Amino acid sequence: MGEQGKLPGRRSFLRGMAGGVAGGVVAGGAAGYALHASQPDPVLAADTAALEGRLPAVPFHGKYQAGIVPPPQRATAVVSFDATADGKSELTDLFHTITSRARFLTAGGTPPPVGIDGPASDSGVLGPTVVPDGLTVTLGVGSTLFDDRYGLASQLPARLTPMQPFPNDDLDPAQTGGDLVLQLSAGNADAVLHALRDIAKHTRGGMQINWRIDGFSSPARPAGTVPRNLLGFMDGVSNPPLSEARELLWIQAGTAGEPEWTANGSYFVVRLIRMFVEFWDRVDVYEQQQMFGRDRAKGFPLDADSLYATPDFAADPTGSVIPLNAHMRLANPRTPQTAPSRILRRAYNYDRGIDQVGDLDQGLVFTCFQQDVKRQFEAVQTRLIGEPLVDYISPFGGGYFLALPGIRDTADWYGRALLT
Amino acid sequence: MLSVAMRKTPLLTIALLAAASLTACGGGGASDAISFNSASCGGTWALAKPGWHTFDLYNADDVGGEIDLINPRTSGIYAEVDQLGPGTTQTMSLDAGSGSYAFRCLFDDADPMTGPTVTVPGHVKGFAPTVPVTYNDLVGPEKEYHAYVAAGLQTLVGQTETLAGDVQRGNLTAARRDWLPAHLTYETLGAAYDAFGNFDDEIDGRADALGVNNPQWAGFYRLEYGLWHGQSAGELTPYAEGLAANVRALLASWPSDEIPLIDIGLRTHEIMENALEFQLTGHDDYGSGTTLATTLANIQGDRELLSLLHPLLVTRYPGLSGVQEWLSRLQALLEAQRQPDGTWVSVSQLPVSARQDIDAACGQALQELAPIASIAEPRNT
Repeated sequence: MGEQGKLPGRRSFLRGMAGGVAGGVVAGGAAGYALHASQPDPVLAADTAALEGRLPAVPFHGKYQAGIVPPPQRATAVVSFDATADGKSELTDLFHTITSRARFLTAGGTPPPVGIDGPASDSGVLGPTVVPDGLTVTLGVGSTLFDDRYGLASQLPARLTPMQPFPNDDLDPAQTGGDLVLQLSAGNADAVLHALRDIAKHTRGGMQINWRIDGFSSPARPAGTVPRNLLGFMDGVSNPPLSEARELLWIQAGTAGEPEWTANGSYFVVRLIRMFVEFWDRVDVYEQQQMFGRDRAKGFPLDADSLYATPDFAADPTGSVIPLNAHMRLANPRTPQTAPSRILRRAYNYDRGIDQVGDLDQGLVFTCFQQDVKRQFEAVQTRLIGEPLVDYISPFGGGYFLALPGIRDTADWYGRALLT
Repeated sequence: MLSVAMRKTPLLTIALLAAASLTACGGGGASDAISFNSASCGGTWALAKPGWHTFDLYNADDVGGEIDLINPRTSGIYAEVDQLGPGTTQTMSLDAGSGSYAFRCLFDDADPMTGPTVTVPGHVKGFAPTVPVTYNDLVGPEKEYHAYVAAGLQTLVGQTETLAGDVQRGNLTAARRDWLPAHLTYETLGAAYDAFGNFDDEIDGRADALGVNNPQWAGFYRLEYGLWHGQSAGELTPYAEGLAANVRALLASWPSDEIPLIDIGLRTHEIMENALEFQLTGHDDYGSGTTLATTLANIQGDRELLSLLHPLLVTRYPGLSGVQEWLSRLQALLEAQRQPDGTWVSVSQLPVSARQDIDAACGQALQELAPIASIAEPRNT
């Protein structure tokens, strides 16, 4: 365990945000790799809190949206909307409404009684009092919002385009793109769905759901490691530290070509990736590990003996230990040249029924955040073209969005800088 | 648009205050329990100061009843517990402003009874009570709606006879032309379908449980299915004649049928709920591709109800203008899809953005309509 303090890529992000985010979530992530710790395991404590629906409120107000930095919560929904608001004034109303609902839902409280004036003001899905359950609401805008409907063409972020299809992609237009994206994450699925129903109910005339997918993040197994994807591998072990957020995560004020309103926002990429798990389960573990570059059981890089160790690709120039086309090696070659392309990964698993041949429709709701989608996600994805893993996965939807800047205070609202 | 959303924004503040001061109030519990029985409607109780209060209402009687918290001067209702079973307790919450408060008890098989009045002094604004709509208030609207339905059925008799004649003569082109106006007439009578009893199934039943090949399936949709799936005049004649006969029989029985008064308000959103569920999804498109026109007919029927209820709603429902605004918007979006030659396209052929606009407008109209069922529910006073 000597390496614990040395290379905690993922944990650094978590430590950095400790001031701004709820204790349970932080404790969960900050535990690191501490299987043999004698004190009560904070990961387990956070898991227990999540299961019991009592995660504390995540503060809604801040310079950045609160749902970006925290590690994946147990439950998420990524929902794409098309705006149906008629003109800029209605679009402004829509953003105000989303803000108000998000502010209430993330804080929790008692929905007001209505007397004999109508149906109940709340669905009751969370009981008589709305519990926050760690809910975060992350709102992003897609390039299509900047067409001629709302007079926003001149405000189009410089790097925001429709999602580019990569050679292995099989994008379904009905599950790709959208004017807006909302990611709702919480300790439990009921809190996520409660929030979705509430926001949809208050915005029916202003936006219409385009596509949606529900995701979940598994508990770390064994405790103290990193949650696994449905291919059985730990996902998102290596993420850049929060100390590099200025360079990698947030759009900085004055960035060349970017409209001013984008400052403190972040490019938000969503990729819906089917995993052919039956096929995958017919592949031997050795081959699986060669494709990822990590040990399946422990998550260690194949050339190291700890989870957060940095693989030493320079010492293995021919790929004899970690193949040159291993996912981990292509995604992040760990060179000074590729360092600026690193992204903040926030992946969730999805599981939604079966396909036409009766195989399980399972996969990944891959989301990532970055300062520059071209320099980062697209560069990473370009390096991954043709990786051996592509035989076992099929990206079928998602989109490029820009996660808006944070809501500063009770007077602020989503899109204020864009719309005023 | 979104006026409703903006209008509701202040509720947020209320909700947060509620969370804060419920605790300060002692959080309800036994100390706020108020006991009711057929001899005492609340007895002595107190409302010391304005703000949020939660009461536990206990029914100490051996019969059930309804408990309302009212303003005794106007009979406006602040809050109600519809069914308080014998020996049970229910919670009532209230943002009490300055004003008068009293409980009114409606125990089963007993005369209404109003308890002592409690006054909150000062000038603090609280939850505004709504004056209930009574059974009496709805008798006039029911009569007018009954006459509207009679007139619609009278028209429908002629239209379904024309349709039956087309099919009998083997002129299926004319039948396909004459099917739509007849069906649309029926679709404007949406608050009466329950009152029609079994006729509704005979006249406008879906194939859902029966399947399209079941001979028991009859009515407009059965004819639509046949007319747009190449079935012969011979096969369809009994269905066309049966439809006309059922409409005649319905018209004959209609004078003695009554529309439950509770339906008048309730149907204002249910008509459009059904339009969304069955027409705008395309579920009830059995081949003619006219569900957008059907939705327009549904709007027309809904407007009739709203116009009859208008005098009752205008003083009670601040969102009424939103209802009109969104129904108009939906209507305009639907009418924009009428082809130059007067025909319609099925919803599945609409461009995604047009369909989203229609669905969004219908969804918002439904949100605006939803409170009317509760506000226009007939209540005993």
